[in-house]
Amino acid sequence: MGTMTPRELVAATLRFKHPSRVPRELWTLPWAEENHAAALAGIRARYPDDIVRPPAVLRRPLITHGEEYKPGVYVDEWGCRFENRQSGIIGEVKEPLLGDWKDWRSVRVPEERLTLDAARVDDFCRATDRFVLARPSIRPFEQLQFIRRPDNLYLDLADPPDGFYRLLERLHAFFMEEMELWASTAVDGLFFADDWGSQHSLLISPALWRRLFRPLYADYIAVARRHGKFIFMHSDGHIEAILPDLVEMGLDAVNAQLFCMDIEALGRRFAGRLTFWGEVDRQHLLPYGTPDDIRAAVRRVGRALWRDGGAIAQCEFGIGARPENVAAVFGAWDELLENP
Amino acid sequence: MLKDLQEALLAGKKTEVEALVDKALAAGLPAARVLNEGLIVGMERLGIMFKNNEVFIPEVLVAARAMNAGLAKLEPLLVQAKVQPRGTVVIGTCKGDLHDIGKNLVAMMLRGNGYKIVDMGIDVSPEKFVEAARSSNASVVACSALLTTTMVQMKAVVEAVRAAGLKIPVVIGGAPVTRDYADQIKAQGYAPDAASAVEEVGRLLAA
Repeated sequence: MGTMTPRELVAATLRFKHPSRVPRELWTLPWAEENHAAALAGIRARYPDDIVRPPAVLRRPLITHGEEYKPGVYVDEWGCRFENRQSGIIGEVKEPLLGDWKDWRSVRVPEERLTLDAARVDDFCRATDRFVLARPSIRPFEQLQFIRRPDNLYLDLADPPDGFYRLLERLHAFFMEEMELWASTAVDGLFFADDWGSQHSLLISPALWRRLFRPLYADYIAVARRHGKFIFMHSDGHIEAILPDLVEMGLDAVNAQLFCMDIEALGRRFAGRLTFWGEVDRQHLLPYGTPDDIRAAVRRVGRALWRDGGAIAQCEFGIGARPENVAAVFGAWDELLENP
Repeated sequence: MLKDLQEALLAGKKTEVEALVDKALAAGLPAARVLNEGLIVGMERLGIMFKNNEVFIPEVLVAARAMNAGLAKLEPLLVQAKVQPRGTVVIGTCKGDLHDIGKNLVAMMLRGNGYKIVDMGIDVSPEKFVEAARSSNASVVACSALLTTTMVQMKAVVEAVRAAGLKIPVVIGGAPVTRDYADQIKAQGYAPDAASAVEEVGRLLAA
């Protein structure tokens, strides 16, 4: 067990097969690099990631304008226009790309994303002993928000027009093609995302989620299963209502804001069935807590969710987070199996 | 008839709400009664359902849209009858913060509950909050932030309101905001969600 490679370590965690330590992965926003470059480098050196991203080299470059994490306007590969006033974070869509559902055909899918150089990905996977997680931007709900602007989309969801279904179908077909493409490479895991929670509940009703979005995620998970890959999802907010669905569909790991939810209740319902890929409270603890608070939080998560696996030491070094707290997250997880 | 109006509102049926408002007025009901016992009660019920996770953001938005349609019909009559709003709320996101979905939801819920809203939009400086509160004779300032880095601007808003000599409460909210933080910066009100914001504003104005 002591000689597990990072790849084996992650796989053992996802399978609840007694990994020798808790695998880790640090997420960062450019803000961390801009404000805490030296501390970030120190954390990375001391707690190297066990999960890595493959290079997404495209034969045809994406068509974007501006810089995603800089103040000003950034236009993504779909043509969605983000306004930003703060360096180091992403902006918000203020003007919808699609003003009227009648024009749904005008939305251009970024086919450049399908020109992935798979051989480069395979070479990367072969050359590393770490767990390689492909992270294409597969996020149907969020992409629709960017296309329509969030408030418009929420109104649309109350009574979706025909164009909504047509566009969703088109987006899904594109995402499926992209998922299949990544699944055909040598990566260990695949990923999709959508933020589904507010601080206290789902953003839309669980019934509507099940009708419109669950089938899409079921398809992504099925692709992963068919290709023998692990499958990961990220979703911010209070998402407890949809976790049973995700478990039932076969999701391996979820990155969720645990601290929006009742962590002990999550443990009672899902420990041993789903791996919680982080996180540690980035809204309060990481920016305002102390390293002692962080250690207590990690012990709490460990007690609730660790069952010979089922947790990954992950947190986001994002806006406002204190470097000593980020370091404490990984230190505390390392101690967890030594001093349970 | 007012019960039907509430139901139409809860279902977000804008055209039906407009028709029922017309019908109620044609039947001789005063505009204030249609507002208070029809639309506002409907929005109050919606607020409770939202807090109880019986309805979600899409349902709230369509109900608010229906509410606004009904209100548009009543407004000239309310002005004529000199019916005053429950209060005036100056609302906006903090300086540097562009994230306004939550703020818009709060504004809609407050408007639907009989408050006049002065929506300052996004990236609002403390000075602008004060200026708007003064010129609109506001009863409350409501301030929202999504980011931990912009949340600190809320303290400046509280201080600016106090320094300007305005004796009105400041209510704060947004994903990273907590009651503790509100206490720490001496904001009089805190709301974890849009429905609670209505309750909190009501509580502060009744105090």
